[in-house]
Amino acid sequence: MDSTEKELIANLKSDGNRQKAFQILVKTYQVRLYWHIRKIVLNHDDADDILQNVYIKVWNNVDSFREDSSLFTWLFRIATNESLSFLQKQRRHSIVSMNEISDYLADSLESDVYFDGDEIQKKLQLAIVQLPEKQRIVFNMKYFDEMKYEEMSEILQTSVGALKASFHFAVKKVEEFLKEERK
Amino acid sequence: MKKTDENIENRLGNIRKDQPFRVPEDYFETFADRLMKRIGEEEQPIKKRTLFFYLKPALMVAASFAFVMLLVYVPVKKFFYTSGNSYSSVQKMNTDSIDSANEIPATLISYFSEGQFLSAVTDMKELESDTISNDKLADFIAANYSDYDVIANN
Repeated sequence: MDSTEKELIANLKSDGNRQKAFQILVKTYQVRLYWHIRKIVLNHDDADDILQNVYIKVWNNVDSFREDSSLFTWLFRIATNESLSFLQKQRRHSIVSMNEISDYLADSLESDVYFDGDEIQKKLQLAIVQLPEKQRIVFNMKYFDEMKYEEMSEILQTSVGALKASFHFAVKKVEEFLKEERK
Repeated sequence: MKKTDENIENRLGNIRKDQPFRVPEDYFETFADRLMKRIGEEEQPIKKRTLFFYLKPALMVAASFAFVMLLVYVPVKKFFYTSGNSYSSVQKMNTDSIDSANEIPATLISYFSEGQFLSAVTDMKELESDTISNDKLADFIAANYSDYDVIANN
């Protein structure tokens, strides 16, 4: 944790500078957090709601931030949990199974007016939504964000070995899905 | 595992890695303002939640009850008050008329001299005492009823 981040945290915890520091925090991480969430839930409106909820949680709980991890890790952890909670809520409200969550995400992708990818990119996304939640998150963080396993380990609170295994299985499944699509 | 990771580029190599999604125009430029507005809106009602906020439903029920009671009580009270008043006014009127009958208006007295007024009152009293005389009553009973009727009625 560098001195700039320490100063930002100190300002976030002080009443006088809190609002200004919070705006800096939002501007610094909003893009990376948004794309992390968007890749989990796919739909823009859902991602926007979740991103706002993440920052509201930060605003309300910044005093309880223990500083044993970086702000980045803390924010990504909240964002991941919020995104997974959102999908679990969808499952509870719809009384749908894991496969149907994949169908929900596939439908979101098909109807997404903010999807600009070509046909192959769409097939890759459809392959990713078939993955179990954890593997999907690991795949996105590794493949698209090129995040280090150590960083992912801190955010997802999972061992590096387990993450590597998850990524390996995820790639294999995606590859198989794409092969099936080519036939 | 590292070898597998390196192979991924080859295995999924034909697929562009850049983001296939986009966001609405000015989304990130306006996000912070929208977020701060939402935080402001969510914090305001929490601050304003005073004791009145929590008592409001109970007060509303009490006010509704009082209103209904008022709607019922006032017409009922008015009805009974009016009928009670009319009864007392009738009673009062009767009393007044009795009083006024017994009383001799001062204006009437002024037409008579003191001597004339006194002789008139004395004649009236003689007339009244005649009507309730025991002798006259005994004569009336003796003339109109037999001894049997008198004994049977007593």
